[in-house]
Formats: sequence, structure tokens, C-alpha cells
Amino acid sequence: MLNDELSILLLYGLLMAVVLVLKTTGMLTQFDMGYLLSSRDENRSLEGMLGRMDRAINNSVIAMALVTPPILVIAIRDQSSAHSILAAQIFLAARTIYFPAYMFRITGLRTLVWLIALIAIFFLYFLAL
Amino acid sequence: MTPELTALTLAALLQVFQVCLMAVPANLELGTKKTLGPRDPEALGGTLASQLSPRTARLHRAMNNHFEGLILLTIAVTVVTLSGQSTAFTAACAWIYLAARVVYIPCYVFGLSPWRSVAWFVGFAATTLMLIAAVL
Repeated sequence: MLNDELSILLLYGLLMAVVLVLKTTGMLTQFDMGYLLSSRDENRSLEGMLGRMDRAINNSVIAMALVTPPILVIAIRDQSSAHSILAAQIFLAARTIYFPAYMFRITGLRTLVWLIALIAIFFLYFLAL
Repeated sequence: MTPELTALTLAALLQVFQVCLMAVPANLELGTKKTLGPRDPEALGGTLASQLSPRTARLHRAMNNHFEGLILLTIAVTVVTLSGQSTAFTAACAWIYLAARVVYIPCYVFGLSPWRSVAWFVGFAATTLMLIAAVL
């Protein structure tokens, strides 16, 4: 499963869905049910760990939007190679570490894996071109 | 075109509609001097989003939330389609997602609690089930 760019993309989608569930569930501890189910006109910000999860998810939306085009192009054009699989694997590994690194405030590591994932994205674009 | 791709295209068009739904009242409320400018919060006394009327702010939040849903749906639909795994189940998931996302907007705007959360959850669950179906 990890030897196929499309499956890696799927796993990343599932990972993000899991974190989204964790964040949404965690919100129950910070806000009352009435506020959560309302249209949230009053802007209440998430604090601590939940805020970091929220920011990590927002950043992941960008990463996902950037990595999807080259992976789809590589799959549609049948350009998969050992290099593109490795780049996708590195991307997934780095972005997986990104979540705990953000949540548990591991300064340095979070930025490092963010950068590694970005380089992997650029490499995938290069391979897709 | 698989039914999933049709639903994805309609979901993208729904997002175009949501952008218009938010942008028209936002421009009327804030004035084009603010919206066409570089929107520096320090020059405008706060972010533009914070100056919207409650209803337009709801439309804005609904639009932002749909971007998150749309990126996950895009992955689910394109992988299901490209890997030839389209089934009646995945097609149903895609249409349920679209329906839930349409319902989500009026629920948000009119403050229909808890139906906004229910619609969000249905859309999210449909996407997640598609992702799982594609991985299996």
C-alpha cells in the first residue's frame, strides 16, 4: 500500500480525517454543546493543544492541495517510478510527524518536517513535469 | 465520467456559488474601497472578516469550512476513479456528501442548531467512508 502514490495520498487524507475527529471531539471539552451546535457568531478561539491541532489542520489543507496535483498527474500519465514513490513516502512520513510535533510543541522538528515535506512536494512536481 | 466525478464537479460549483453568496453581501456591506484594497487589518481597524454582518460572517465561515471538506473529497473521488474502484457505495457517498453540503449552508445561515453540525458530520462521514473504501 505504501508503494503506490495514490494509496499514500489516501492515507494522508485519512490521517487528516482522524486529526479532524480528534480536534472536533476535543472541542467538547472547551466549549459547551449549545455554542458548538450554534452558528458560532461569537468568535471563540481554540486554546492550547486544540488550537495547535487547528493550525496543524489548516496547514495540512495547504500541503494536501499542493501535493494532490503532481500525484494525480504521475498516476494518470503512468509516470510512477521508484523516485516518485520514495518522494511520496517521505512526504507522508514528514506530514505524519508534523501533527505530534505541532501538538506537543516540539520546536524545530515541526519546522524541519514541514520543510522536508515541501521539498518532497517540489520533487514530485519535478518528476511529474 | 463516473458518478463520483460528477458529484465532485457539482461540489466545486457549489463552492463557486458559496463564494458569490458571501462576496456579494460582503462587498455591499464593506464597500469596494475596503474589499478592493490590500485589506491590511491595521489600516481598517481589524480584519475584513470581523467587520461583516452576522449573516454574511456565517456565509464566510460556511465557505471556509467547505474548502476543508472539498480537499478531502477531491482525494477520495479522484483516487476511487483513477484506481477503477467506483462502486454503487462510493457513488452514493459522493452524492450524500453533495446533498449534506447543500443543506449545510441554510442550516448555518439560519442558525438551525443542531442541523448544521449534523449536515457537517454526514458530509465528513461520507468522505471518510469513501477514503476507507478506496484504501481497502
